Amino acid sequence: MTTTIAAPGLTTGPTRTDQGWLRRHRAVLLISSGLVAATVLTAVSTGSGRYTDPLDPANANPDGARAIAKVLGHQGIDVQVVRSAKELAGATTDLGTTVVVTSTGSLGRGTIQQLRDQASDALVVLVDPDVGIPTLFDAQEGIRTRRSTSITAHCNDPLFDGLTLKVDQYTSYPSPSNTCFAHAGGSVLGQAQPLLVMLGAGGLLANDQIARADNAAFALRLLGQHNHLVWYVPDAADNSAHDSVGISSILPRWLKPGLWLLGICVLALMIARGRRLGALVTEPLPVVVTAIETTRSRGRLYRKVNDRAYAADALRRAARRRLAVDLNLPRSAVNDPQALVTDIAAATGIDSTRLRGLLLGDGVGPRTDKDLTDLANALADLTREVRRP
Amino acid sequence: MILTGRVPLLLLAGLVPVVLRPGLSTTWLWVLIVLVLVIVDWWLAPAPGGLELERSPAVRVRVGEPALTTLTASYPRGRPFRGIVRDAWQPTAGAVANRHQVAVAAGERRRLATQLLPVRRGDLQAVGVTVRSHGPLGLAARQRTRQVPGSVRALPPFESRKHLPSRLARLRELDGRSAVRVRGQGTEFDSLREYVRGDDVRSIDWRASARNRSVVVRTWQPDRDRRVVLVLDTSRTSAGRVADVPRLDSAMDAALLLAALAARAGDRIDFLAGDRRVRTRLRLTGPDVVSPLQDAMSGLVPIIAEADWSVLAGALAGFGRQRALVVLLTPLEPSAIEEGLLPVLPTLARHHRIILASVKDPALEQMASTRETLDDVYGAAAAEQVLAQRRRTAAILTALGIDIVDTDAERLAPALADHYLMLKARGLL
Repeated sequence: MTTTIAAPGLTTGPTRTDQGWLRRHRAVLLISSGLVAATVLTAVSTGSGRYTDPLDPANANPDGARAIAKVLGHQGIDVQVVRSAKELAGATTDLGTTVVVTSTGSLGRGTIQQLRDQASDALVVLVDPDVGIPTLFDAQEGIRTRRSTSITAHCNDPLFDGLTLKVDQYTSYPSPSNTCFAHAGGSVLGQAQPLLVMLGAGGLLANDQIARADNAAFALRLLGQHNHLVWYVPDAADNSAHDSVGISSILPRWLKPGLWLLGICVLALMIARGRRLGALVTEPLPVVVTAIETTRSRGRLYRKVNDRAYAADALRRAARRRLAVDLNLPRSAVNDPQALVTDIAAATGIDSTRLRGLLLGDGVGPRTDKDLTDLANALADLTREVRRP
Repeated sequence: MILTGRVPLLLLAGLVPVVLRPGLSTTWLWVLIVLVLVIVDWWLAPAPGGLELERSPAVRVRVGEPALTTLTASYPRGRPFRGIVRDAWQPTAGAVANRHQVAVAAGERRRLATQLLPVRRGDLQAVGVTVRSHGPLGLAARQRTRQVPGSVRALPPFESRKHLPSRLARLRELDGRSAVRVRGQGTEFDSLREYVRGDDVRSIDWRASARNRSVVVRTWQPDRDRRVVLVLDTSRTSAGRVADVPRLDSAMDAALLLAALAARAGDRIDFLAGDRRVRTRLRLTGPDVVSPLQDAMSGLVPIIAEADWSVLAGALAGFGRQRALVVLLTPLEPSAIEEGLLPVLPTLARHHRIILASVKDPALEQMASTRETLDDVYGAAAAEQVLAQRRRTAAILTALGIDIVDTDAERLAPALADHYLMLKARGLL
């Protein structure tokens, strides 16, 4: 059962001042400053490798293509790296030019159209074109296989005959039966149009795979056909909104309106569930006071001031009274401790020196906390001993 | 306006037209249709205020026992009403199934019964009735909360009533009314009757036996028409909890048992409760004393303030000058007793016989005997100090001629009743 106690003027405690703001938000501040530091550190540590895209001509990581770009340059080929549609527009792409395109995922309808218009005379090499890209070049999509075997040219094209490729992953494009590098019903070197080549083994350009088999020779022969090489790394920022070639062309058309409807439905559900049937009801709660609490606090107070002598005295007095009651000694005996000890010794046969030490003490009190605990337990033992002789 | 769960479902059904005719326009068209339906439904929903509510009169029930409160909902006119009525009570009233589905046509009425199970003593209040009225489509609803006053009076549980039959049996033995032929104790001479085996030979009236053919014994009737004044202390010391029950509640339990017993013994009972001022003052007449006492006690709560015993003693004097048995139901707290009660006690003790009934906390003695850690030892020292002070206070009170019944919460009621019977048997009232 509970009871209400009217307690006017009782508050929940002192209200905190604004000065404690820093202390209260210390955890939040620490975490956020740690996050900022981590972000800055990451940015600084990765700042040296600005170009991290796979097969980027300036990327020196294992998946970059800096090695082959350098070697092509040393072979006397003019390698021009263009990184945006604007730079591409400024590059010359005539009959004596090879245009190689990596990171094809960043191409859009607009940039593809620009590339096709501008490089209509040049040889265009698409390196591992993403799904959807060949279609936009009016070519057929390839089939991706993951197998680490070598492929030999086996054809009568003097450019590639006798070369062997070895990369981690191939994409084969539909092509005539007598073509070079036949693989999985097609060829990894898809010749869709006279001046459009799709390289399904783009991995061979990577720094860590260029040294395998005849990869380097193949790359030099493919990209070094003309003296001028334009290496186009498209920038996704060149795409406008309706340019995207991505996932939206595959998804069903009702998905977007359906998601809208679902969102509105969730909103309606929140409104429907959010309204309560009437206000919350409060209960005037009682103040809970435990009766023993004052005694406990008194004990804590003794502990705080370390008044061993006082505590020992209280325990001794209680023990003396208890013994006197248990031994049926007259009530007046309690008031004369010396006589009481003699009486107890006579009644129980316990050594009176021990009794004196326990029940009277030396007037100073226990010196250490352990002495006090020992005394308390010795007194408890004594009363038990007398009660059940 | 309130939306029901059907609105999101209806919106979800819009996926079918969206799949059949893809496009954002389909989505917006569907949302518009649903919106129009919701507005029409809300407009058609009858006003919640049209439902007239009336509550059954307040009930009295012991704490922990179920009670029923009834709302009568009448609907004089309007479109058929369909909806939910929630009868909200404060949590300790224990109204669990308090949401009622209501469907009522014009001119009809319904009774909505809510079960209550009070878990706390006092007047527990109804907080408000919320009426939600649905439209004919069940899409939208109108809602209004209004006050329909109601309360349930939760009385002290009187758990010690299980001790009453055994104490009444002992009272009958005192009375000589029992089938057991024991010499009636007491001091008032009652009558002469024939000796039966088992009677005390000391009560044989030899003079009367000489005049008779058989042996005759005298019987005495216990004192009747004495006054018993129960004084309940509702100050801070009564607020303290012993094993999570406030001392006040244990004291009430003891007071109820003593009152029931004393009423059957033919004594008159007065009841007084207070702290700094008098909270309740009750002069009980008639055979049923328990329910008016419970009624008077139900609203009492301890306050955090010291008791002013001079005020209480004054109120006590207001009951009359006749000698009475005064039962002070207050904890034996040395400081509170010595400072508050002791100054008024000598005067009281001259006029009345006084019993002090106190709830002892078993945790105190347990604390005095626990001596494992250093904290325990200091605690034990403190507990010994408090125990010594209690003994000293008790000794002072005993020297003033006051009887002390100081025992655990659950044993207080029977112990007090036994003490009363002992006084009655010895004719000390």
